[in-house]
Amino acid sequence: MGMGKDIFEITVNGLKLVVIFLMMVQAVPILVWLERRGSAFIQNRLGPNRVGPLGLMQLLADAVKFLTKENFVPDTAKPLLYYAAPVFALIPGAVAFSAIPMSTPIQVSAFEMFGSTWGPYTFLVQGYDIGVGIVFILGVSSLAAYTLLMAGWGSGNKYSLMGALRASAQTISYELALGLSIVGVIMLYGTFNLTEMTVAQQGPLAFTLFGYTVSASWLPNWGIFYQPLGALLFFTTAFAESNRLPFDLAEGESELVAGFHTEYGGFKFNMFFIGEYGHMMIASGLMALFFFGGYGIPYVSVQEVQQWAASIGYGSGLVALLHFLSFFVKFAVFLWIFIWVRWTLPRFRYDQLMDFGWKTLLPWALANTILTAFVIYIASL
Amino acid sequence: MTADAFLFWFLAIVTLVSGLSVILMSNPIYSALCLAMTMVGISALFVTLNAYFIAGVQLIVYAGAVMVLFVMVIMLFDLKKDLQAFTRGRFTGAVKIASVGLLAGLVVGAIAMSVGLLNEKTTDNPVLVGTGMESTKALGNILFSKYILGFEALGILLLVIAVGAVALARSKGGTHEH
Repeated sequence: MGMGKDIFEITVNGLKLVVIFLMMVQAVPILVWLERRGSAFIQNRLGPNRVGPLGLMQLLADAVKFLTKENFVPDTAKPLLYYAAPVFALIPGAVAFSAIPMSTPIQVSAFEMFGSTWGPYTFLVQGYDIGVGIVFILGVSSLAAYTLLMAGWGSGNKYSLMGALRASAQTISYELALGLSIVGVIMLYGTFNLTEMTVAQQGPLAFTLFGYTVSASWLPNWGIFYQPLGALLFFTTAFAESNRLPFDLAEGESELVAGFHTEYGGFKFNMFFIGEYGHMMIASGLMALFFFGGYGIPYVSVQEVQQWAASIGYGSGLVALLHFLSFFVKFAVFLWIFIWVRWTLPRFRYDQLMDFGWKTLLPWALANTILTAFVIYIASL
Repeated sequence: MTADAFLFWFLAIVTLVSGLSVILMSNPIYSALCLAMTMVGISALFVTLNAYFIAGVQLIVYAGAVMVLFVMVIMLFDLKKDLQAFTRGRFTGAVKIASVGLLAGLVVGAIAMSVGLLNEKTTDNPVLVGTGMESTKALGNILFSKYILGFEALGILLLVIAVGAVALARSKGGTHEH
């Protein structure tokens, strides 16, 4: 896992990290606009439509408002934790998001610059490729619970503490079901690596069972057709992990004011907000990767796209662009579903939330794991 | 100093400093947060050793779940009384001396056992087989064949702990009855 073998590769890889982080942060205002306009559409209202075309400049106005607000610390707060929490809120999301492969690698052939020969290089369209992608992403995003606890306790406010305790209890409870729901996927593809998973989902649906080859040329070879229950469980727990409705007990307005971020205003609040959207983006990206073919274009394999691009005289750049678009469409659809569900379903009660996590999701995820193991064993006979 | 060496020393110092802070901090919440930081540091050290799977599991299990529970429980209690009970008294003194002895024994034992290890070639180490899936596969194979007894024993131990925790939680009173 090095950064590169010479200064050019290291620079590009470093810049890539910055670009991916900025992409994540910059997507947030657009998502906020989409969420506000979308919620208005769902609730038969207009939403923000006065500032700029379609209200798009509202984002800029909001950003200026966030940045110019008074910097405020409550009397009872622990300043160190109070200030550290919003900063830490960004880290798990950003680090985990960088590990998601978004397209095929871009090949750069050797070229001359500053009097010396550079390359050839292969650049991945992701921050870094960690062999055990899933384990890494789950591990890093499980650290998000600390920011909630730090914010809740550091604020020195009872509502904040209650919200933080609820949120972290919920995160821990649902993490189990989340982890178990993708064990089936890991067994199915036999890898932890996200790129290898994507490669395994290329082409039309075809598999072998009891010596018969089943194929359906009208369906893509996506994980959801092998793991429908796993997909449903994963998506449900992903909502809980990102503390979105119907699982946003942590900030139940009617009971806890705003939960763990009650005492936060201005840009500090905004950082929590970016963190929450970051979790949404990771969940959407993983959903696309595990169950909907990742960056793969439905029905065709990467090799076919490469051949086609070569036949019209383009290299890996066009291939990467096409696959990135394919990934982006899937990614955007899941982000929209996140927003859609938030404005459609009501919030759970706390005991319902815990019952649902421990008594429904966890047993079903276990059942899915065992069933998958049996089917894979039988199919391998 | 190479980049790898720099990374190792940086992570080692972060891990040790946060480990020391666990026992030097007077506020239990900061102690618990420092312990979480130590876990993250250890996990990062595993990454530098190419043991990605163990690093990830360390993060998920220890940093992500066990320590979060610790922090949560500590936040729920007002620990001033317990703090005083644990800083004075003959019993506490005995416990302290015992802990120092235990730590000294661990350090001496670790040094004594690792003296020969540094020069040995450890090719059967599952961590060194390769990065990514191969090392995980090797780890799984070794865990479910050579060390199956220990693995099962740990599983039963965890089950006993879970049952015991539920039994304790059901009984009235508990440790914080006044």
